[in-house]
Amino acid sequence: MSERLRNQRLLALFAAGWGLLNFPLLTLWDRAGTIAGIPLLPAALFAGWALLIGVAAWVAEAPGDEAPH
Amino acid sequence: MLSTPLVLAASFAYLLTLFGVAHWADRRARAGRSVIGNAWVYTLSMGVYCTAWTYFGSIGRAASSGLWFLPIYLGPTLAMLLAGSLLRKMIRIARSYRITSIADFIASRYGKSRTLAALVTLIALVGILPYVALQLKAIASGLTVLTGTPGGSGPWWSDSTLYIALALAGFTVAFGTRHLDTSERHEGMVAAIAFESVVKLLAFLAIGIFVCWGLFDGPGDIFARAAAQPALKGLSGLGAESKFAGGQWFALTLLAMLSVIFLPRQFQVMVVENVDERHVQRATWAFPAYLLLINLFVLPIALGGLLHFGVGGAAPETFVLSLPLANGQSWLALAAFIGGLSAATGMVIVEAIAVSTMVSNDLVMPLVLRLTHRASTDLSGMPLAVRRVVIVALLLLGYLYFRVAGEAYALVSIGLISFAAVAQFAPALLGGMYWKGGTRAGALAGLLAGFALWSWTLLLPSIAKSGWLATGFLTDGPFGIALLRPEQLLGLTGLDSLTHALLWSLLGNAGLYVAVSLARAPSAREATQALLFVDVFQRSAGAPVFWRGRARLAELQQLATRFLGAEPAQRLFADYARRAGVTDVERIAPDAQLVQHVETQLAGAIGSASARAVMASVVEEEPLAPEDILRMLDEASQVRALNRQLESLDRLKDDFMSSVTHELRTPLTSIRAFAELMRDDPDMAGEQRQQFLGLVVGEAERLSRLVNQVLDMAKIESGHAEWRNDEIDLRELVAHAVQTTAEVFRERDAVVSVQQPDIVPTLHADRDRLLQVLLNLLSNAAKFVPAGSGRVEVRLTADAHGAQVEVCDNGPGVTLDQQQLVFEKFRQGGDAANRPQGTGLGLPISRQIVEHFGGRMWLRSEPGQGACFGFELPWTRQQEETGT
Repeated sequence: MSERLRNQRLLALFAAGWGLLNFPLLTLWDRAGTIAGIPLLPAALFAGWALLIGVAAWVAEAPGDEAPH
Repeated sequence: MLSTPLVLAASFAYLLTLFGVAHWADRRARAGRSVIGNAWVYTLSMGVYCTAWTYFGSIGRAASSGLWFLPIYLGPTLAMLLAGSLLRKMIRIARSYRITSIADFIASRYGKSRTLAALVTLIALVGILPYVALQLKAIASGLTVLTGTPGGSGPWWSDSTLYIALALAGFTVAFGTRHLDTSERHEGMVAAIAFESVVKLLAFLAIGIFVCWGLFDGPGDIFARAAAQPALKGLSGLGAESKFAGGQWFALTLLAMLSVIFLPRQFQVMVVENVDERHVQRATWAFPAYLLLINLFVLPIALGGLLHFGVGGAAPETFVLSLPLANGQSWLALAAFIGGLSAATGMVIVEAIAVSTMVSNDLVMPLVLRLTHRASTDLSGMPLAVRRVVIVALLLLGYLYFRVAGEAYALVSIGLISFAAVAQFAPALLGGMYWKGGTRAGALAGLLAGFALWSWTLLLPSIAKSGWLATGFLTDGPFGIALLRPEQLLGLTGLDSLTHALLWSLLGNAGLYVAVSLARAPSAREATQALLFVDVFQRSAGAPVFWRGRARLAELQQLATRFLGAEPAQRLFADYARRAGVTDVERIAPDAQLVQHVETQLAGAIGSASARAVMASVVEEEPLAPEDILRMLDEASQVRALNRQLESLDRLKDDFMSSVTHELRTPLTSIRAFAELMRDDPDMAGEQRQQFLGLVVGEAERLSRLVNQVLDMAKIESGHAEWRNDEIDLRELVAHAVQTTAEVFRERDAVVSVQQPDIVPTLHADRDRLLQVLLNLLSNAAKFVPAGSGRVEVRLTADAHGAQVEVCDNGPGVTLDQQQLVFEKFRQGGDAANRPQGTGLGLPISRQIVEHFGGRMWLRSEPGQGACFGFELPWTRQQEETGT
């Protein structure tokens, strides 16, 4: 994978994260209910955050050629 | 409760451990086994983002407004996703031009402006000093909770917080001001900061686990109990506010995103101390993961504390200490305090290094330079001494601030106020990295506007709310002008004060930056710096030098000695001489290259703006016009293109040499082997000896053929070959070639037929060379025809343009991918296993000869259908045609 492609994927991930962890999508979770005893909103926030980190790790650590720009 | 001496002993033991870690890392670095050259250490050092404000403050924030502590960590997570491009570019720029602080970065981009550097330093200083005070306050309140005796009160000489501050100053001086050149890394300091990040994370996780599973029955239990209490119910979400304030969430995220890049301490660890650009890749996800871990238990601890003590029972900021204490876990409480101490000290150390570099380079050195007129004054010890004094002064000022304003509102909310101050660097810095049109005036206007709006809408109100200013201007506006009310500027309402301030300051900042930049074209100096910054990835090799003027070697040497010291200056010039290929330092040409080199070295010690100023004072410079810059760029790119060409030629030569050597070695090896066999066995049967000698002679012939061909090739390629041109009858030549090779074909039982017209005009060429080509094609065909049933056809044709000769065989043919290769040197057709013996030079030489006479050579072949090698020679040589 080229550096350019990697950076573009991270940029797309940035946009996705910005939308996912922000107003107004966040209000989707602001309602009653729990997951394993954790209220929905904190559970969703941390899960979304962890997911973002996981995908970022996958993209960032994928082997690629170390060609500079 | 714990006894005061015990807590203090533990604190100082921890600080001693820090010294130990830093000392160890420095020693390892000197031994050439650096510990910080590692992506994990780099990531952990970024953890300096989490200060005591995170460690204690997040829980306080969660206890009052639920999940609102999170945007401060979501912002950096998002920012790190951009690090692959943004941060790497910053690192590359900083490394290329020896930039060592954020003030230097911005000033350097806009033509190395000293005014700009000083302004950025001032903003950073105003924004950071209260933040340092906040760290000391956190330590003091921690001590109070642990020991029960109020810290930060009583006479100053008996206040343990002062001594902790002094110890921190000592650490920072010891490990942060080792080298004069600030672009050199502080190995020990970085290792200590990474260590601190581990300590605070582990301590915080330990408290979280204790609260969740020691005091309660897991996080589910805590949330269930909190849900049962009306006062705590809202805290599991976004607080009591019924309507989600999306704008504020957005603003906080954006603010944290900018801070994680522009806080002086973050710039220090992420850009200046970076060892390898590739480490950024790991940090992209590992640093967000660190932030997630350290925030995992914030909400459970806050709710657990509120459930345990009741709302208003104990200060939520100190739950990490009071919860274990109240449950008899004093050692855990002590561990938690050490964790908080590590969060505070890490921030103070790195911030002090970063700010001291800025203050020394951009505020003090310019003054010193103005005051010392004598060029002979040795100033080499000056920058380091200034930096040390600034560090101690910063810590003492922070302590003073904490003593005077310790309980005030201004201190509690200072984290976000600091963030908003450094966010003002964003337009000038980001704009400068991606837009060539930004100018010094634009950056100045933007920064001033941003800073003024920040002060008016955020700083002054916070001071007023602390009770040091009459709050009248907050409610009624200054002089009763309601439109200028700081928290409802121009009547803008409906936003919280932070979002309001961020909106106005960034809007004013970015707006003026763009507008003033566009008002006039950049000057030559601004344009050159813009090019060097924006296109840093294209210009890292063979960067053009934008300078014209006259310099004297002796003056440059004197300048370097004055600021770097005698020995480093000598080393600088000696190194330069070696790289320039000059035998003696005295013979270095004082050209633009040297001026630039010396200036960059000085920049590492005194900052780029000061370096520019002192350089301008000793060399005679000619102003550059934009056209000059374009020309210099052009020259530089031409030089680069030529360099690339040279490099590829060089590589070709190397390839050729290694192939030749390889080809020569094969016959030599067998000659030597047979000769040794015969020498070692004097009783060898005469018959076998004869056979071996035959092989030796054969191999020697092959060797001499090869050497001849290589020489031939070299001669033709270099144009030194002799050509004896004559009128040639091609019919006669073909007949001669076929006759010469008849014996070879007979050996393989192959039939050769010739097709030719009755009359062919004569051709002006070198007979021997053309014969060589024909013989080569025929012997090639002989090698590949199947034994017993070989058929070879030689076709000679002539038309108005020239004569064509083709030699076709019924051999295995040449595969498509091989067809491209057969004319290259040392590439032989066929697969390695059944490839006949040859030098691999025959066809390339033939082609060279044909091309010398203006003709071309080709191969037509389909696998299994045989191969046709042919060439065409024009009646008149192309060059002569065009020449007449």
